[in-house]
Amino acid sequence: MAEVSMPRLSDTMQEGTITRWLKKPGDEVKKGDIIAEVETDKANMEVESYDAGVLEQILVNEGETAPIGQTIAVLGSGENVQQGGQSKQASGQQDGQSKKADTQQQKPSDNGKSEKAPTAAEDPTGANPSAEVERSLASDNKAQAKGAEAQSTSSDAGVKASPLARRIAEEHGVNISQIKGSGPGGRIVREDVEDFLEQQGNQPAQPAQTEAPAQTSQPAAQQAAAAPPAQQQGDEVRNISSMQKTIARRLAESKQTVPHFYVSNEVDLTDALALRQQLNSNVGEGGVKISVNDLIVKACALALEKFPDVNSSYKDGQFIHHQRVNVGIAVDIPNGLVVPVIRDANLKGVRSIARETKTLAEKARAGKLAPDDFSGGTFSVSNLGMMDVTEFVPIINPPEAAILAVASARKTFVPVNGQPVVRDIMPLTVSADHRILYGAAVARFLQEVKRLLQNPYDLLG
Amino acid sequence: MAEITFRQALNETLREELTRDENVFLIGEEIGNFEGSYKITAGLLKDFGPRRVVDTPIAENGFVGLATGAAMLGLRPIVEIMTINFIIMAMDEIVNHAAKIYYMFGGQCPIPMVIRTPGGGGQQLSATHSQNLEVWFSHVPGLKVVAPSTPEDAKGLLRSSVLDNNPVIFLENLALYNVRGEVPEGYYTTPIGQAKVSKEGTDVTVISYSRMASVALDVAHRIEQETGLSVEVVDLRSLRPLDTETIINSVKKTGRGIIFEEDWRTYGIGAEIAATLQEEAFDYLDAPIKRVASVEVPLPYSKPLELAALTGARQLIEAINELAPRRRRR
Repeated sequence: MAEVSMPRLSDTMQEGTITRWLKKPGDEVKKGDIIAEVETDKANMEVESYDAGVLEQILVNEGETAPIGQTIAVLGSGENVQQGGQSKQASGQQDGQSKKADTQQQKPSDNGKSEKAPTAAEDPTGANPSAEVERSLASDNKAQAKGAEAQSTSSDAGVKASPLARRIAEEHGVNISQIKGSGPGGRIVREDVEDFLEQQGNQPAQPAQTEAPAQTSQPAAQQAAAAPPAQQQGDEVRNISSMQKTIARRLAESKQTVPHFYVSNEVDLTDALALRQQLNSNVGEGGVKISVNDLIVKACALALEKFPDVNSSYKDGQFIHHQRVNVGIAVDIPNGLVVPVIRDANLKGVRSIARETKTLAEKARAGKLAPDDFSGGTFSVSNLGMMDVTEFVPIINPPEAAILAVASARKTFVPVNGQPVVRDIMPLTVSADHRILYGAAVARFLQEVKRLLQNPYDLLG
Repeated sequence: MAEITFRQALNETLREELTRDENVFLIGEEIGNFEGSYKITAGLLKDFGPRRVVDTPIAENGFVGLATGAAMLGLRPIVEIMTINFIIMAMDEIVNHAAKIYYMFGGQCPIPMVIRTPGGGGQQLSATHSQNLEVWFSHVPGLKVVAPSTPEDAKGLLRSSVLDNNPVIFLENLALYNVRGEVPEGYYTTPIGQAKVSKEGTDVTVISYSRMASVALDVAHRIEQETGLSVEVVDLRSLRPLDTETIINSVKKTGRGIIFEEDWRTYGIGAEIAATLQEEAFDYLDAPIKRVASVEVPLPYSKPLELAALTGARQLIEAINELAPRRRRR
């Protein structure tokens, strides 16, 4: 008998969601067969079987999530094929757990809330939904406190956990049944509890359904008034994908921990557009056309080469200059955003960049990007130019030090020799990490990008 | 610090002890003229004469009984049993007499006797000559049992054993005799009943003794280099009394423990330690305690079969990989 466990498919992956089982119980599996597809925080990947046998049991159903190392299926001789029954049971259990998790997740917010209770109580209308919620949460709290001792005997009696994991959970007042185990047979071990606590610590006062992230930095009083965690009738609650969770986590981390500052400029794109038209005029059927974005990527890459400070990272009190210039391009995909990377963009011609970008964007939209495709970026470009945008301010994609926002080019009257002339003007904004970058450095970098785009033949050098 | 072999460490210490205390004498089969089957007593008959280095007939129960009597009368015998496999002939003298006389006769006479004897497999000496019988003695109140893994501890523990007023079973291992190690200059002793953390670590504790403790140390260093896993190694050094404090503290720190022993698994040293750990460190355990020991068969003569039956580095590495926490944040 062999167990198939959730593989580690990328460096940052902590868990994966089974999107599809390609084999069903009773199917013969050969070594190397692809048996399932898994969505990680970054991409859809295939799970390959390292053993041969008959798929006897599926332990994690489609749509369910498991941490790295957890057994997701069992291979065997075929004598113990369990058609759905067992797997249903397992999933039922997990469902129960995740439901518990939902209610539990509100717990950390309780404490914060009860401090603010007076504010809610002062609400003269009494119609404040949060007051009601608080009352129910408060009673929850009591029940929980009462149940704290019973926890290890009753509610989690069926949960497999190491004594150490139980102790740590108890010390932190966490109901262990809401934690998923990564040990043998799904046993909850110390790391699982620590990860759980860490996650909770990272998301203070964030019941699953609220839009809390935007509000966390607001004054407490305002927050109390503005953050009723309850959902209104008719609201739809949708689970987000692990990729979306990663985006949420990483961007929140970036905006909260990286001191952003912004520098904007306008570029006269008229000549660049003319050049582009010329470059594309003879491409013919099946050829790769160069986009404005490709020219911008190339301009950034050359400017980064000239201003290596912008092509760097801040890490643990150190300033890391990156040798290579790898430009990430934000690509809009259904329910998310990915940033595939053009490596050594400073060394590649615009046609190569165009070709590579096209391939990466197609892969991204098909959910087929490999970890290599989106790792190692040193700078990013986010282009909303095709969406009629006058300007926008992007969030830095860590560990990069800066990101360029590209808005729409518009026909604009500009003075040329005292006369109004119509030119194509495109606003650019750089968001930069103020821990290592300063206004003047970023302004000079942006000037160079502008210079290159206004002298577009320099991009072909 | 001089680097010497385990064999030299024993030989030097015996010589020192014979010199230091005229009540100390050596007794055993072939230890005089032949200088010991494993040459531990080389040169000693020549220098100390036949009253201090006594060759005996092949009669373990006889000469262990003789040594016990000599100890009762104030001498400090150091007995060599050629290999631990032959000690079985003397079990009655050891367990029923040496271990109990002090207790049964109102503390009138202690038994300051050391029995040195090598065990261990891997030399193609087959089933009756390759055993590890440490558990037999570790089980008996009234005895002390030590099992050093380095020349340094061999010296320190042999000195302590000779100084001790109780019968001490001093366990050696055939495969350790040629192992080299640094030994401090000057006179020092290693206390009986005190384990040593021979390598600090944070992810998992390997508890071992005698030869396996030195294998464990190698494995731990290798694994740390290759995978970054931090393995703590505890060398028990003494099996009775057992230093429970050190092993409990170590496992409290790492949450995971493996006992690595060359003897058979069931009822072994590992069983005792696993029981101690679950009694004393239950709330700190993040995984079941694991035992890595030899296969439960009389050891075969055939080399491939012997290798298959004995435990070793490979089995320990497997166990560590199985037990170690998944380091997801690396």
